Amino acid sequence: MPVIKVNNRDVHIQELNKGAAETVLLVHGMFSNLSVYYFNIAPVLAEHFHVVMYDLKSHGMSERVLDGYDLDSMTDDLYALMDVLNLDKVHLAGYSFGGLIALKMAMRFPQKLRKLVIIEAPDPSDARTRGIIEEYSREFLEHYVANFTDTTKVKMGKRQMERNHRMYEYLFYQTSIKQDMIRESGFFKETEINAVKKDTLLLYGASSNCLQAGKQLNKMIHRSDLIPLEGDHNIPIQEPVMIAEIVSSFFKN
Amino acid sequence: MDAIVKTSKLNNDEIFGLMKQFITEVIGEEFVEEMDITPQSSFTKDLEMDSIEIVSFSEKIKAHFGEQIDFTGWLSAMDLDQLINLNLEMIINYIQECQSSK
Repeated sequence: MPVIKVNNRDVHIQELNKGAAETVLLVHGMFSNLSVYYFNIAPVLAEHFHVVMYDLKSHGMSERVLDGYDLDSMTDDLYALMDVLNLDKVHLAGYSFGGLIALKMAMRFPQKLRKLVIIEAPDPSDARTRGIIEEYSREFLEHYVANFTDTTKVKMGKRQMERNHRMYEYLFYQTSIKQDMIRESGFFKETEINAVKKDTLLLYGASSNCLQAGKQLNKMIHRSDLIPLEGDHNIPIQEPVMIAEIVSSFFKN
Repeated sequence: MDAIVKTSKLNNDEIFGLMKQFITEVIGEEFVEEMDITPQSSFTKDLEMDSIEIVSFSEKIKAHFGEQIDFTGWLSAMDLDQLINLNLEMIINYIQECQSSK
């Protein structure tokens, strides 16, 4: 299990096809981890690219950290990770909250990016996004698992429920993630988004709550294309191979 | 001794023992004690392993067998249903296949 030190903290990374000329860096979403890419998406991309995945702080197998969940801090982390791995310029793709990190990266450090893919990034001002953050409770998790995870077909057992509950409890009640996210609610109004000049691909589920956010970004980012795919917010889990192939050909051409 | 074990072909029981050892390392002894792990145990349903734990498990297989088997490649050919139904026996058979083709 490759764990490296970035700014003196343990970060779990996975790499495929290290010898390839160009690198694709993948950023996962909140309460998730790099496994969202590891099984199906990363291997397809690795047919042509060096692929790097990492677990965000306090997620997956990376070290727990009490603060710094705002997009400036998360992109500082990513910049530092690229430094440690000697990555000069990468194709960057992010899913959900990871999509916001990827976009912020294009706004702050365009010199570090080739092309950009944003998958299902939500508008942080959306009441539903904030609702999840503000109203977390054990009951919420149980309800959420019972009602919403069926689209990914995976049911959580008791041990997993406990593990997830511990992670949510830690993130919600001990770290600054809640306050940091509330502070980001004006993110889509930042004028720097309009200044992003990277070729950008926006992938959204046609029946996702976030599709509206995709349309907004499509208007703001000049060189962007929006592709709605059949599915909801969970499209990377529902259609991993399709996503991987679309992303791969976008980065190749 | 280690080098000899690694280069010699393992039989089903030995592979099963190794898999159990990896699972214990990933999810912890206290949980494994409560479980009756058999070759038919499925990763997600019976062992309740989530995907990041299966990533750790895959890494252990890769570290042990090295180039001999392409475990991630094999997993990546599976769709979600197949991944959910993945059990130990399927992995044992896959490792056996790789060993006999070398």
